[in-house]
Amino acid sequence: MSIDDRDKQIINHIQSDFPICQRPYAAIGEALSMDEQEIIARITKLKESGLIRRIGGNFGPEKVGFSSTLCGACVPTNQIDAFAEVVNSYKGVTHNYTREDEINVWFTFIESSVEKIEANLAEITERTGVTRIYNLPATHIFKIRAEFTVK
Amino acid sequence: MQLTDQEKRVISAIQGDIPVCERPYRVLAKRLGMTEEVFLSVLTGLDDKGMFRRFGATLRHQKSGFTANAMVAWQVAEARSEEVGGLMASFNEVSHCYRRDPAEEWPYNLYTMVHATSRETCLETARRISEKTGVTVYRVLFSKRELKKTSMSYFSQAEVPGAV
Repeated sequence: MSIDDRDKQIINHIQSDFPICQRPYAAIGEALSMDEQEIIARITKLKESGLIRRIGGNFGPEKVGFSSTLCGACVPTNQIDAFAEVVNSYKGVTHNYTREDEINVWFTFIESSVEKIEANLAEITERTGVTRIYNLPATHIFKIRAEFTVK
Repeated sequence: MQLTDQEKRVISAIQGDIPVCERPYRVLAKRLGMTEEVFLSVLTGLDDKGMFRRFGATLRHQKSGFTANAMVAWQVAEARSEEVGGLMASFNEVSHCYRRDPAEEWPYNLYTMVHATSRETCLETARRISEKTGVTVYRVLFSKRELKKTSMSYFSQAEVPGAV
């Protein structure tokens, strides 16, 4: 899909501080000198095309009382799909990627406690036979930026 | 921070996807059996308390032109980790930078996510970071296949008392 300058303006405007008011799309329109209907039509199209995955709140897990971690697993290549099926079945696994490395499957885990994460990882080992799974919770966050300027 | 049941219900509604229509918050409020006014005031309260890391649209990277993504794991002398983490975070190509404890046979303690338009630019960025920080032991883990990507559902509506 090709996007024009107005689409780009909208995308770059709504990645953070999406308006919290009765008519947020009208507020976006006001800021960008477009009318509400145009904003709604363009955002609908951008979502249908898949460029915008969702619009909503993103929380730091710890802020809402949860614990989070990054896990890296060493999985035999022919077992990756089966391993992923087990791992992905946990609601707290939100991101999971294969990566080009000896430690080839990397996933994030969010749970109500550190203990719950550890118990789940032990269960995953039991269910899949994969024993080398690193549990690497962040001890310090230097940067999190999930916004991308579309040029 | 202790959340009220009402706050949890509002979180359960906006951790998904906000509808694209004139009064989206009224739609979400209705699902919870709440008025739009109460919903907006609870949501504003959550925002004021700094509960959101970000409130807005999430893009699919692959569709926005950043086709090469790598996690770079760095082995940094612990005494320098604070300083080096700050330097790494200053790179525009770095979207995330964390310190994590090293593990057995896995000596890395700093992690950066690097986004670029090609593999070569990703590697080039890693080289520039290495030069600027003086950290020479690192590995670049290109992402190959996305197995799962979703947003966390912290409080399902069924788990929160009073939810419809």
